[in-house]
Amino acid sequence: MVSTSAVRIQGLWKRFGQQIAVAGIDLELPAGKFIGLVGPNGAGKTTTLSMVTGLLRPDQGTVEIAGHDVWRDPVAVKARIGVLPEGLRLFERLTGRELLAYSGRLRGLAGAEVDRRAAQLLDVLDLAGAQHKLVVDYSTGMRKKIGLATALLHNPEVLFLDEPFEGVDPVSAQTIRGVLERYTASGATVVFSSHVMELVESLCDWVAVMAAGRIRAHGPLAEVRGDAATLQQSFLALVGAQGRAAGSDLDWLGGGAR
Amino acid sequence: MNAAAPTEPVPAGPAAPASAPAPSITPVVVRLKLSLLRNGLRQSAGRRAAYVTSAVLALLFAAFQLLGLIMLRGHPHIASVAVPGGALLALGWAVMPLFFPSGDETLDPTRLVMLPLRPRPLVRALLTASLVGVGPLFTALLLAGCAVTVAHGAAAWAVAVLAVPLALLVCVALARAVAAANIQLLTSRRGRDLAVLSGLVVAVGAQFVNFGMQRLGTAGLAQLDPVADVLRWVPPATAVGAVDSVSRGAYAVAAAQLALTAAALVALLRVWARSLTLLMTAPDASTLQGPDTAARERAGAGRLTRLLPAGRTGTVMERSLRYVWRDPKTKAAWVTSLAIGLIVPVSNTLQGAGSPYFACFAAGMLGIQMYNQFGQDTSAFWMVALTISSPRDAYVELRGRALALLVVTLPYATVVTVLTTALLGEWGRLPQVLGLSFGVLGAMLATGAWMSARFPYSVPQEGYKNVAPGQAGLAWIAVFGGMLSAALLCSPVIALTVWTNVSASGDGWGWLLLPLGALYGAGLTLLGLRLAAPRTAARLPEILTAVSKG
Repeated sequence: MVSTSAVRIQGLWKRFGQQIAVAGIDLELPAGKFIGLVGPNGAGKTTTLSMVTGLLRPDQGTVEIAGHDVWRDPVAVKARIGVLPEGLRLFERLTGRELLAYSGRLRGLAGAEVDRRAAQLLDVLDLAGAQHKLVVDYSTGMRKKIGLATALLHNPEVLFLDEPFEGVDPVSAQTIRGVLERYTASGATVVFSSHVMELVESLCDWVAVMAAGRIRAHGPLAEVRGDAATLQQSFLALVGAQGRAAGSDLDWLGGGAR
Repeated sequence: MNAAAPTEPVPAGPAAPASAPAPSITPVVVRLKLSLLRNGLRQSAGRRAAYVTSAVLALLFAAFQLLGLIMLRGHPHIASVAVPGGALLALGWAVMPLFFPSGDETLDPTRLVMLPLRPRPLVRALLTASLVGVGPLFTALLLAGCAVTVAHGAAAWAVAVLAVPLALLVCVALARAVAAANIQLLTSRRGRDLAVLSGLVVAVGAQFVNFGMQRLGTAGLAQLDPVADVLRWVPPATAVGAVDSVSRGAYAVAAAQLALTAAALVALLRVWARSLTLLMTAPDASTLQGPDTAARERAGAGRLTRLLPAGRTGTVMERSLRYVWRDPKTKAAWVTSLAIGLIVPVSNTLQGAGSPYFACFAAGMLGIQMYNQFGQDTSAFWMVALTISSPRDAYVELRGRALALLVVTLPYATVVTVLTTALLGEWGRLPQVLGLSFGVLGAMLATGAWMSARFPYSVPQEGYKNVAPGQAGLAWIAVFGGMLSAALLCSPVIALTVWTNVSASGDGWGWLLLPLGALYGAGLTLLGLRLAAPRTAARLPEILTAVSKG
């Protein structure tokens, strides 16, 4: 591989009717990093990730993953990426184990290899006990974990995770975190979106801040954080949400009086 | 929600009555029901129109029923209609919440769980609120009709004035008690699965009612006498029975029947209050699964895998076949297709109006399952989309789905065809009917695959609808356009069949239609898949967007 960037986005636009969801994004994500895409709700994170992974067609712009164009060279791209989308279903009437077997075989892996990897993933992700339960009966945390397992099964170069920690209990979150850290340590790239700054700060070494369909800042974590004490503070400054005190109007709140 | 605002919190514990009486919540709940109704109607003009139309139709129907029952007054067997009529209404009320659990939000007491309410005032309030609406008005009209038609004499009229509201209350309380008792089932996943399948129960039930009506039409109302004799002691039909008893001078019987109705009302309210209390204090644990069911679910899987071809084809087939069994929407569609595919040819044959060609219905109905393949995946289609990188992948995917369908359809269509021909005794025509069936099946698979790629639409996973709001036109184009094209594609085989039947020299050639039809059908399928594959591969994001609305 010649290029050192895992993902290269150029002039990416997406409109839904009157609303502009993504307003011209240019971004290069370095390979081998744990990358956080942060932004408030409605910033366009999910839309961007959908377009980058080929699940949504952009109005304009190009996306390259490991040097291959997502729309012109899907064979090379789809084999190299793993995706955990947000708000899309899984084949929930399969058991966890069947879902992995299905997804691995659909990607053309040998049956025995799929079963071996599936067993290990289920084990590491603490799903072995629920592997014969239908996914429709899984909790949110279990769903995220089985989704992560399907995304990892074919050992992709770049992993895209949309809100992987949303609604996940602390124990499952720690498990997911451990797996992801091991995965990036081997040189793979993880791109994940979140609006929880503490999480991004503790996990990522590279961040891109999104608001209102644009990238407001990007670079290594320390660079984006700058002089601010925490990423949260620099983020609030970047998206222009500072100084909105939630106090003076709610003078009746608290104090026990009715 | 503004419902909670005017209510005073009630102190917990049994020592509460000493405190000042809290204002009644009944008007609040009734107002809540009215605003929910109003807001529901405000959402769209279409919904408003549908509501008004259905309300007008229901009330017209009720009014005609009322008129009819009044005109039948004095008919010797009219009580045998009126009494079961009351029972039938109650049955409707008991069954309705099971089918439309989300139809009435005030019906779901779990929404009130955070409010400091006690069961007794809550029961009173909810009961009053459920008397508001078209349904109760419809029921009241019908009950009034049932009472009027059997009432003779002033005493009977007086009893009727008491009996009709009592019966209405029993109906409403019954619906509420059933809903509250089943709400754990209804809000759990398994319950929702059942609700999807329950549409079938309604369809089958309607067939039975239809059949019963036809019998009555030919055999007369006297047929109902034994049924009515039992039902006049079953509340709330007892209320109508009481009016009838008074008309005939049996005052003691009438009193007993009225008392029975009242007792039923009290019992239902008790049951309802008890399950309300339970509901508001106990968590939902109905989706917890024992380890043994999990083991059972797995048992069949290994065998299935071994029989299927390797690679993507087998993987896709396996998933499709599992979904036929496990996904309630898919299952309901399949059961409907299988049932209609069998019932139409066989019942036509049994009624003497049969032709062996009706057997093609089986192939046609099952072929419909090939339509909207990706819509059946719902938004989980992304998993498929991410593994399709070329038209070849799309071709294998679609072919796997078509093969999964054929595993069931081919033997089934054959059996239905053989059965129909056997019932008619027209063995000579079996080859050509089979050939035509296979031709139809092939055309349906071909157009189904193409329409799946070109006109995908979402199938909502909950409720009884099969098309997401706003996509009805799309679905219409896909299904009817597809069926029309399938018919056109089949026309050579149809023409050949007609020729063998009409032409003098054609008789000897009928058998040739079997290989010809089968080959033609197979060819059409392959062609359809070939044409659909590049379209699928090129439109993956568009398909995903279209099927993700449910």
